[in-house]
Order: sequence, then C-alpha cells, then structure tokens
Amino acid sequence: MSRTTPHRTTSSAAAAPAQAPAVSRDSALAAEIKALVLAGQREAARERFAGLVELQQRRAARIAYQYLRDVHDADEAVQDAFVKVYAHIVSYREELPFEVWFTRILVNGCLDLRKSRSRRLRWVLPTSGDAPPEPVAPQPSPEQRLLSSERGRQIAAAVDQLPERQRMVFTLCQMAEQSTSEVSRALGLREATVRVHMFRAVRKLRTLLEREP
Amino acid sequence: MTMRHHHLSDDRLIEVCLDAASPASERQHLAGCPLCQERRAHLTRLVTDVSGVAAAQADAVFTTERLARQRAHILQRIEHEARHGRVIAFPAGHAHPPSLRGRPGMRWIAGAAAAGVIIGLVAGQFAHVLPGTSMRPLPASTTAAAVPDTLQRVAAPLSEEEFLGRLELAVEGTGGSALRPLDDLTPRVWEVAAQ
Repeated sequence: MSRTTPHRTTSSAAAAPAQAPAVSRDSALAAEIKALVLAGQREAARERFAGLVELQQRRAARIAYQYLRDVHDADEAVQDAFVKVYAHIVSYREELPFEVWFTRILVNGCLDLRKSRSRRLRWVLPTSGDAPPEPVAPQPSPEQRLLSSERGRQIAAAVDQLPERQRMVFTLCQMAEQSTSEVSRALGLREATVRVHMFRAVRKLRTLLEREP
Repeated sequence: MTMRHHHLSDDRLIEVCLDAASPASERQHLAGCPLCQERRAHLTRLVTDVSGVAAAQADAVFTTERLARQRAHILQRIEHEARHGRVIAFPAGHAHPPSLRGRPGMRWIAGAAAAGVIIGLVAGQFAHVLPGTSMRPLPASTTAAAVPDTLQRVAAPLSEEEFLGRLELAVEGTGGSALRPLDDLTPRVWEVAAQ
C-alpha cells in the first residue's frame, strides 16, 4: 500500500482545486469502457471491465467486509456493485475519480444489504445450513498469522468497538486510501464531518489499544 | 523547561497526524521537540498497525481463490444480463408494412371491419335512449368501494422485501403504538431459536 500514511487524509487536495488531478488507471479504464459501450462494442467493453474488476476487487472486498462483517454478504455486495457499475457505465462522469463513484455505489449496496439483513433477522427464522462452510486452508496465511497474534487480536477487538460511522470513515481513509474530500463524496457527508469521525476513531483506537497491557 | 508548556496535547497530535495543514507554531515545535516527534511516530505506527490488521481480517477471508471465483461470477452475471438485453432484428422481408393496394380482397375486409365498428358505436348510443335498457355505468368511487381494501392488497403480489418493509412501517408508524405492549410481550425469533 503506497498511500497508507495518515497524511493521506488531508484536505490539501481540496485546497488546490485549480490543479487538474492526475487521472488514475481505474478512471482511465472506466472512461475507455464507457466509450466502447457507447460505440456498441460490448464484447471489448466486457474484456476491459474484467481488468477493472481485478484492479478494484480487493479494495472493494475490504471495504464491504469491514462494513458488513460477513463474508457472504460482503461477497454479494461486491458482486452487485460491479454489476451495477457495468450496467450504468454510460452515466459515469470522466471528470470524477472512478474510485469515488464506485465506492459510493458499493457503500449504498452495503447499506441496503444491512437493512435487509436486519429485517430478515427480526421477522424470519434463521435457516441452518444456508451458507456453505468456508474451506479451511491447510497452512495459515500471513494474514491469519497476524490476526492470531496477541497484538492482532487486540487491534481487531478495538476496531470492532468503533461505532459504525467511525469504522467506515477509518476504513475508507486508511484502507481504501481515500482523501477526506473523496470520502465525503462517497458517503454523502460534509468534509468537516468526515474529519471529525476520523479524529474520534483514532482517539478511541488509541485509548483502547494503549489501555491494553 | 519552557518547552514542556508547549508540548502538543494528545488531541492536537492526532489532528496533526491526520491533517498536514497545522499552524506554523505547532510544526515548528514538532520539528524541534524529540518527545513530540516520538509521540507522533507512535501514533502513526498505531494507525498503520490498525489499518494493517483490518486489511488482514478481510484478506484472510477473501483469499485469492475466492476473489477469482467472485470475478468469474461478476463476469458471468454481466454476460447473462447482456444476453437478455439483446435486441433481435426483424427479418428483412417484414421491414415494410404490407400494402392493401395490390390486394382488392383485403380492401373489402378492411371496409367491412370499419363499417362494423361504426354500426357498433351508433347502436351503443341508441341503447341508452331506449326505455328499460339504461346501462349507466357506476361511478368510479362506488366500484372502488365495492372491492374491500384488504382484498385489493392481497390481490397485488408482494415481494418478500416489500412485505417485510411494510411490516416495519406498520410497527414503527403511529398506528402501531397501541400494539407496542403486545409486541414487547411477544418473544423474538432469535429468543425462541436460542431456547
């Protein structure tokens, strides 16, 4: 991750609106797909879209998982978001970063899924054996080793204690590597509100983790 | 010793870490104070660690194989939807509407059909004038009231989502306040399942 430093979450990008932002690879690819769809070259557009999915997929999975905390729901949310993006690619505005547009679609999808899940939990009896069991890897991956370490467990528990909005803002700023202005556009919040949530998230994490022995 | 009074508070340190646009005095202090530099480095490390663990949580469940499967599903769904949306062109032979000019028999049939429609309309007008055959239509409000509201609702098929949504609205709405004590008495699904 090249943009993981906390300084990434500055408003300096917003402070210089006159500067034309460099078009990211994802945005360029999205613009290309849009042009292909408009030209009626759907086959070529689908091929390019596979590349775009590959570029954004892991980031999308991380965001959805942090939001939904369920691998099957996160999987569904990511799939739906990509299908929606392709269906509405002609409405993509090239002057905006693709990541922001995509993140907004993904977050809205996650919200809908959560709402529907909570309704289901309230009114419908849970059915056993609905989801297939996850395959167990023979060797623990580096991620699993990190999570099973004492520090990893403490951090994971602290992240779980963050209020939902703070966790989302933290996830988008730090894991999805978006600036506060991008997060504000993706979540439909004011930039100042995003900064407040981010500040509170870091303060709470600090309190929780420094209290640990 | 005066330096101690100017140490950045914890909250200011977080602000500085998150926002590069800090006052010049704070930047100056940070540049010359090893203690605040150390605290800042510690905080930066903490944020990076948390990001790393949160990412690892997702990566542990979204393995490379799972992502590949997911990608295949996405492309399959796109392909499937594209196939459904394809417009099939009409055969070339039917591109122009058939003309009646070259077929006199068809002309007669069309004429007879038009005459039938006109006769039907005129007969309909006369039927209202003749005694004992008044067929005044019922006002719209009467016909709507004749069908019970519940029946109308039942007749319209609801999706599961829509149905659950209506349940939520009914419970949260003002009309549901009278039912709330009853709702509190009723055990929840998960409570029953837990037992």
